[in-house]
Amino acid sequence: MLYPIWLDISDIVTNVEQDSRVQFGMGDAARLGYEYIVRRFNRAVINIASIALGIAFLSTLLMSDSLYRAYALAGGERLGVETYQYWLMFVALIVSVVGITNAMLITVFERYREIGTMKCLGAMDRHILLLFLVESIIQGFAGGVAGYLLGLIGAILSTGFTIGFTAILMVPIAESITLLLGSVALSMVLCGVATLYPAYRAAKLNPVEALNYEL
Amino acid sequence: MSFDTIIQIEKIAREYEMGGSKIYALDGVNLEIGRGEYVSLVGPSGSGKTTLFNLIGGLDRPTQGVVYIDGVDISKLDAYELAWLRCRKIGYIFQTFNLIPVLTATENVALPTVFAGVPRDEGLKKAEKILASVGLKERLHHKPGELSAGQQQRVAIARAMANDPAIILADEPTGNLDLNTGMEIIDLLHGLNKSRGMTLIAATHDLKMIKASDRIVWMRDGKIEKIERG
Ligand SMILES: Nc1ncnc2c1ncn2[C@@H]1O[C@H](COP(=O)(O)OP(=O)(O)OP(=O)(O)O)[C@@H](O)[C@H]1O
Ligand SMILES: [Mg+2]
Repeated sequence: MLYPIWLDISDIVTNVEQDSRVQFGMGDAARLGYEYIVRRFNRAVINIASIALGIAFLSTLLMSDSLYRAYALAGGERLGVETYQYWLMFVALIVSVVGITNAMLITVFERYREIGTMKCLGAMDRHILLLFLVESIIQGFAGGVAGYLLGLIGAILSTGFTIGFTAILMVPIAESITLLLGSVALSMVLCGVATLYPAYRAAKLNPVEALNYEL
Repeated sequence: MSFDTIIQIEKIAREYEMGGSKIYALDGVNLEIGRGEYVSLVGPSGSGKTTLFNLIGGLDRPTQGVVYIDGVDISKLDAYELAWLRCRKIGYIFQTFNLIPVLTATENVALPTVFAGVPRDEGLKKAEKILASVGLKERLHHKPGELSAGQQQRVAIARAMANDPAIILADEPTGNLDLNTGMEIIDLLHGLNKSRGMTLIAATHDLKMIKASDRIVWMRDGKIEKIERG
């Protein structure tokens, strides 16, 4: 060697600082994740449906409760959602999360080669992690909105027959908006949590093994 | 021709533990590669070509020995510097192309620029320019599935060049192509090597693919058998 090694390394380090002003960030991950969702829509639909059903259950119950309360305020009988129904909802959400974890593990598995390739192209572990998390959280957003709408329909149908469909007009707007935001936020959080382990697995993949992998 | 050294491989070995016994995928390889040189790596299946590429590219670590790139012992690099090396210094080309199927040709080529932190528009523009230079001006927005094997490999070559790497590692770039397409790909790589001064190391077991190279490294059983001038 012509020069001491440390000199060269420090040289590389300064190059790194100069060269990568920007990094692979949220925006890039979101764009790439979005492409994956759109162009492999079938797979995304399964995830979105899975979380949407759980969220639909949740928003049906909360919206029904809201309607019952409005009905009671207007002088009607005070009806309520049974506690066991909340437990069912809780279980449904857990089932959704487990389903998403499972589906994302399969997704990671299917993309072994792509992950290996991206690592060859300069992706770091945290870029891969971010990519899968963001992709899942976008699905969570879609699932949250869909679930809320489904839940709304569910609530109207289930309460309509007991307290009459005119009660729907009594729904407090603020409450339903809070419920929408809450549903979407919860859905995104649950999808993110469900994908932590699959995304971590993807990020930690050894590129050589990932590239050798034959599906 | 003489070249200053860009890659120096010193006594590297890579052993695998297989059911108690040791397999040497590489066993005491010494090799110096010059900047701008075109080296063909030839050897039968299992001779260690891919293993050697993985070590040069910082994808794998040798069990013994050192790989220097531009004088830097790459085993001393941290995760960030290794990613930088893979992103900026080295371009990979695979036998199976390994394009990202959901992305268009342009997006595939722009991907390494994304990891390099190049602004999106700039990266896409550059990708289009490189694709045009490899003869794919009419296929910018096609997905890999809509391209022929030869075109896919051209996209992969364009992608490998996206960050203007100093070194191109091509592991059997013609392995999945017919003879004529393979020749075209080799000509393209050779042309880039000469016009851009990129160091090109290409593994192959097809002897028709080696004639343009500056040197031919023959491998067998994890060792260098002989080195010939091209
Ligand atoms: N992960 C691994 N575990 C065990 N042995 C391995 C592993 N990877 C490679 N080897 C062994 O190392 C040797 C060299 O493999 P390598 O893939 O480098 O050969 P190659 O020259 O690229 O062959 P080919 O022309 O078929 O691609 C082979 O004997 C192979 O079985
Ligand atoms: Mg090989």
